[in-house]
Amino acid sequence: MRMIKVKGKHVILSLVCLVLGFMIAFSYHFTQKEINQKNTNLTSKQWEKTLDLRNQLIDIEELNRKLQKELNQKQDKVLENEKDLSKEADAYLNLAEDAERYRMFLGKVKVKGQGVKVQLSDGAYDPEEENINNYLVHEHHVFKVINELYISGAAAIAINGQRLTSQSYILCDGPVITVDGIQHPAPFVITAIGDPEVLTSALNLTGGVKDQLVNDNIVFSLEKQNEIILNPILGNS
Amino acid sequence: MWLPLLGLIIGVLLGLLTDIRIPEEYSNYLSIAVLAALDTLFGGIRAHLQNIYDEKVFVSGFFFNILLAASLAFLGVHLGVDLYLAAVFAFGVRLFQNIAVIRRILLTKWSTNKEKIEKN
Repeated sequence: MRMIKVKGKHVILSLVCLVLGFMIAFSYHFTQKEINQKNTNLTSKQWEKTLDLRNQLIDIEELNRKLQKELNQKQDKVLENEKDLSKEADAYLNLAEDAERYRMFLGKVKVKGQGVKVQLSDGAYDPEEENINNYLVHEHHVFKVINELYISGAAAIAINGQRLTSQSYILCDGPVITVDGIQHPAPFVITAIGDPEVLTSALNLTGGVKDQLVNDNIVFSLEKQNEIILNPILGNS
Repeated sequence: MWLPLLGLIIGVLLGLLTDIRIPEEYSNYLSIAVLAALDTLFGGIRAHLQNIYDEKVFVSGFFFNILLAASLAFLGVHLGVDLYLAAVFAFGVRLFQNIAVIRRILLTKWSTNKEKIEKN
């Protein structure tokens, strides 16, 4: 009887202990879980941070876009300026080309091109002729040839290698002719740059320069040349 | 003597193994209940040491205190007053008092035993 009583007491006590242990353990377990959840809450903090960073990123990207737009505008401006510059450069190039051409006309630079070569030689000595002047090459003969060549479109002309300019003068100086102060004896070689076909046909015109010169007993030879080089005039003249 | 210990171990195991999910707002009730249970347990130990232990009072007090504490917390939550703090306070104070009494009784017992041994 006493044993049963003691046992009953122990059973009740163990029941109480069971409930207590269960509650404590459960509470502990639950709290542990909660802490874990709080850890996931920490990740929510991380999420907030991520959001913040993302916002920052968006801000920066917007700024980038703005700057990009600005850059594009500036680039457009640069392009415009460059176009202007290139136009100016074109203008300068034209000017440069003009200057080059004018220099060519002035004889300041060396020129090269197709052309003709005319040689005027004194006629052979003729005992029947009294006046020696009748078979010498005079400066007006040279003039005629040169004028004919200029009229026919020659770009540059030289006499015995000396370039002629718009200011050149040719004088009869007895047995020689003087071109810009330099004496040249016969035979005179006149080289002209231009269209060889046009120049030859102009000189060969019937009753033209050639015929007139031949009538004056002058030996006239004409040849086309593929490449003539005319040296520039030395000095300021 | 081993039966209550076995009960405790089984209870702990059950508590650890069960995977019941309780909403977060009820966790307060649980902790209050645990506190009440501990208080009652120590109260019972004290009563036992003071030789005024009554099994009926202990068992009824154990379960009733748990329920009361839980319902107090429940009421507090629904009233918007943190009543569970009152429970925590009351149980906490009683817990400390009980433990202090237990300690004193044990100390006097120990000293009297020592005197007895010295006398012998």
